[in-house]
Amino acid sequence: MTCERFEELLSAYLEGELAAAEKAEVDAHLAACPECAALLALMKDMTGAMAAFPEAEPSPALLSSLYAIPAAKREKRKFLRPVFDWLTRPALQPVYAAFTVLFVAVSFVLFHPEGRGIRKQFDLTFHRGIGTAEKLYAGAGSLKSEVGSFAGNVVKSIKTLDLLKGGEGNQ
Amino acid sequence: MDLNEVIRECLAGSQGAWETLVNTFAKRIFNMAYQFSGSRQEAEDRTQEVFLKLSGALPKYDFGKNFTPWLLTLVKNHLIDEYRRTKWEKTQRDDYDERVLAQTAHDGPEQSLVDKETKALVWEGLNRLSADMRMVIILRDLQGKSYEEVAEILSLPLGTVKSRVNRARLQLAQVLREYRGETS
Repeated sequence: MTCERFEELLSAYLEGELAAAEKAEVDAHLAACPECAALLALMKDMTGAMAAFPEAEPSPALLSSLYAIPAAKREKRKFLRPVFDWLTRPALQPVYAAFTVLFVAVSFVLFHPEGRGIRKQFDLTFHRGIGTAEKLYAGAGSLKSEVGSFAGNVVKSIKTLDLLKGGEGNQ
Repeated sequence: MDLNEVIRECLAGSQGAWETLVNTFAKRIFNMAYQFSGSRQEAEDRTQEVFLKLSGALPKYDFGKNFTPWLLTLVKNHLIDEYRRTKWEKTQRDDYDERVLAQTAHDGPEQSLVDKETKALVWEGLNRLSADMRMVIILRDLQGKSYEEVAEILSLPLGTVKSRVNRARLQLAQVLREYRGETS
């Protein structure tokens, strides 16, 4: 028997769980191996000490706090009840439904296998929209300047007309 | 009183039944936590958390099961989870102190100095074992559970538990050997 094999069987040997033939093998090994005999002695010493290990007493303060757990939980529940009731009132149900739909839609866009295409399409449409808006804005700007210059021309023409009239009057 | 009856009364809101449950298990759970963590303060915190969890889990308890292993599984899971969450903080244990750890009845004045020294070394040595090894030693050797009970609490096959107990004892023996080598 090797020392490794002895170590594998050590607990079973200590607890008397080995078959007679295996126990005889271990005994023979122990007689020939002082290292393993020392390990066995240490193990006996150790398991003996652990079997009679002293126990600590929980403090009275700990016991009191343990006794108080149900009352503390009831108190907490009483405190949280109004919040829970407010959150579960029927008036909020459409809000939760809307959030659920939004959540499903966002999840679909983010996690669907074809979500990339959907996001790309969305980006494209969004940017086209922005581009159209920019064109409209630019168009509106040029229209504004055209109207401005047209108005300026009209004012100038009227002024010129007044001058002519004035000139005719003077003559 | 039958334990299942106590639990039913707890569920019905009886303070007396809850106190019976605390009186039955507080010392065992506290000692398990103390042996595992090595700190009295931490053991008190863990015991309190376990009983808080128990009060929440009690409505889910299956009366067809054995209550004690069910509760000790809850304790084991909580202790190991908390240990893994905060293990960087666990560098040393309280001193092994006979004044803190009151002697059990069968430890009389004849208790030898060597035995006391071995217990102190075991107490220190537990800190050198991994959480799983430490738990198996606590359940089998310090709490005196049978292999079958340990297997039920850890949800492991009996053979695995036996070999794990043997490995844990070998590791602890190695630690003891090192300590003795250092001190002698």
